[in-house]
Amino acid sequence: MIFIPIWDGSHGCASFIVGDDADGRAIVVDPLAAIGADTYILSAAEVGLKIVGVIETHVHADHHSIARELAQKTDLLVSMGHKAPLRDAFNPLHDGDQFDLGGVQVTVWETPGHTPDSISLVVTDKTRSSDPWLVLSGDSLFVGDVGRPDLVDPTPESTERAALDQFHSVHDKILSLPDTTELYPAHYGASACGGLFLSPKPISTVGYERRWNRFAQITDPQAFVTEVLSLLKPPPVDASLIRDHNLGSQQSH
Amino acid sequence: MSTSLTAQDFFQQVQDGSALLLDVSPAHAYSKAHPAGSYNVPFHRRGWGQEIKRALNGQTPPLGVFADNTVIAEAAKESLTAAGLSVPFTFDRGVKGWDQEGLPVESVKDLTVDELARNLDNYVVVDVREPYELRSGIVPGAINIPIGQLQGRASELDRSKPHAIICASGNRSASAASWLSQQGLEVANVVGGMSLWMGGRHPVERV
Ligand SMILES: [Fe+2]
Repeated sequence: MIFIPIWDGSHGCASFIVGDDADGRAIVVDPLAAIGADTYILSAAEVGLKIVGVIETHVHADHHSIARELAQKTDLLVSMGHKAPLRDAFNPLHDGDQFDLGGVQVTVWETPGHTPDSISLVVTDKTRSSDPWLVLSGDSLFVGDVGRPDLVDPTPESTERAALDQFHSVHDKILSLPDTTELYPAHYGASACGGLFLSPKPISTVGYERRWNRFAQITDPQAFVTEVLSLLKPPPVDASLIRDHNLGSQQSH
Repeated sequence: MSTSLTAQDFFQQVQDGSALLLDVSPAHAYSKAHPAGSYNVPFHRRGWGQEIKRALNGQTPPLGVFADNTVIAEAAKESLTAAGLSVPFTFDRGVKGWDQEGLPVESVKDLTVDELARNLDNYVVVDVREPYELRSGIVPGAINIPIGQLQGRASELDRSKPHAIICASGNRSASAASWLSQQGLEVANVVGGMSLWMGGRHPVERV
């Protein structure tokens, strides 16, 4: 497997190239405008990989995505959770969908909470083991924290419902993975998508978070919701503008 | 700056032997399909144009760049131009576009590791990795010709037998296989190379 994390520390954003060196195909996950579409194309090409999928773990509200441009330049459609309210055409992903990259298999898990369309990607290298090797957890489980539930709709009812969704995504899905599974969330450090306990360290393991993440320790759904809501940071000032940009080029009527 | 040369014009020059067409795609893509007569030199950002210049050894034929992507085609052209080479032709619409122009496409014959394991007696296996890489094990009976020595040592190969070309992951072997087939040898590229051979628990000889 070839796995290239590309980080933007100034915004605390993570993006990834995942591919199979023996097969020559790759996907790009959460490409960043701050990095630029061409960098992903050239980085993949020079390790022998052709980009066959451009995937967003959710509609981002904290940074500009370059997924559309990257997809255009590679003759693809952006792939996203089927609930994403995009204005442009996209390839809708459902729970259990797979990207087959030869020996490397990427499985889509719907993990709503931060947004209704949030997904995580479970990555297995079948030439090594049938165990998942890593999970790209998007804005579900973070290192030390969980994705905030209030950026799509900040009303109290919606925020509470989203926080409850996040509980189930984190506890029933991400934490069902083996302890050895590496955890690569979409954010770390300064990111506005996390809470007060978001670590500046960009990666962890499912086992470490199971033991030491305060939100993984809370097994009661209502207590989880209460804790998440009581620890909310102020929303980023330009969240709705950025989200609107990431929703697509065409204006809604 | 625009290219006035059509694909047909440039291909004519390639056939005459007066121009070189460089397919700058990753080896896996090239192996599946590429313009007839093209050479595979996958683009990278570390002095790639200078590498091509050194390989040309003082010759300065007009060069064509072939890719399936504008970003890669432009970056490759820029790198060659910066090295002082002349690039009168670029094509960024890939094999599909090449085919639409009515121009011939070739491919390297693929061989899976399972097919090779079943027919090991029928092939001369040529491992094009560097000698130190062989320590992890080789396909039983494979001969080693590092890819850099291939041009000088191709004459050692038995033209009456089919050859299976292998490397670590199938990248270098794809380039090597295409070059050998252009020299008139019967060759196949082992897809996924030693990585899949060992992953599939096929027998390995330690050297
Ligand atoms: Fe986010």
